[in-house]
Amino acid sequence: MTDRFAQYPGTPLSEGDFENKSVLFHYDEMHGEFAWDTGIAIRRYLDALKQGFLLGAHCRKCQKVVIPPRIVCEWCYQPMDEFIPLRDTGTINTFSLCYVTWDVQRIKEPEIPAVIEIDGASPRHGILHKLGEVDPRSVHVNMRVQAVWKTPDERTGAITDIRYFKPITEVGR
Amino acid sequence: MKLPALDHSNPDSWRGNLPITNRYTYGLAGERFFRAIKDEAKIFGTHCSKCNLTYVPAVIYCERCLNRLDEWVDVGVVGEITTFTLLYMNSDGSTRQEMDMIAFVRLGDGGLIHRLGEIDPGDITIGMKVEAVFKPPADRQGSILDILYFTPKD
Repeated sequence: MTDRFAQYPGTPLSEGDFENKSVLFHYDEMHGEFAWDTGIAIRRYLDALKQGFLLGAHCRKCQKVVIPPRIVCEWCYQPMDEFIPLRDTGTINTFSLCYVTWDVQRIKEPEIPAVIEIDGASPRHGILHKLGEVDPRSVHVNMRVQAVWKTPDERTGAITDIRYFKPITEVGR
Repeated sequence: MKLPALDHSNPDSWRGNLPITNRYTYGLAGERFFRAIKDEAKIFGTHCSKCNLTYVPAVIYCERCLNRLDEWVDVGVVGEITTFTLLYMNSDGSTRQEMDMIAFVRLGDGGLIHRLGEIDPGDITIGMKVEAVFKPPADRQGSILDILYFTPKD
């Protein structure tokens, strides 16, 4: 394969080639504006976030509690019309230490996305969020965490109304 | 815990904007093609001697026989209108303040899609000879818009 790379070397470009205009190029921005209909369940979920709590949905038949809430049970296809508030604590199911931001900038202090199983939801049910106020080296699966909320007047009805989840220590666990 | 009432003043849709940006480089042939427009006010094609075709804009491979094309040809700045349209609408669907005249101008065995200028729309005919009008050298960026428009060539 290396031989073929030598045969077809391509035309490497660096950021400097764009800055000093040694190469011609066209820059464009696409305006990917969207409006996504939240539907019944997610609307209630966002509304609950604005009010400062997490909302799940309960299936009377399967006795499952899911978060975020939905209006149809994924297992038995029955309507789920019972929305229930859940605690804002949970357990880390999985996590990652990210040294690259969403727009591909390198960072020294990692962002730590994690799937958090929310207390009161059925086992293995949780949400993806970020961790904060934590030493990246100490993060582990099964770590207990709690939501850190924005103040009521800062909240807009978005998942970012929770700033992040931080570790908690509990007696007797 | 009783569920609080739904606040109907909150939005029921989630709005966002995907910040998609891109930088397009023109490639080996495109780079040379646009450099010639910028620096020399010339339009170049590449000729395939095997297929006897002159590609405009220039390309580095013949799309018929796949041969590498090294023969660069100055095809001049005068072409022939193959087809045209009058635009009354912007790309976002809004009505244009001023109608735009767009034509495919044949050059070599290819051609360019570009604006027409200095002509009454009623006078445009298929087969009409038109000449490229370039921006002043200092204003040229190495873009197809370095050509302002094509105008009738007497």
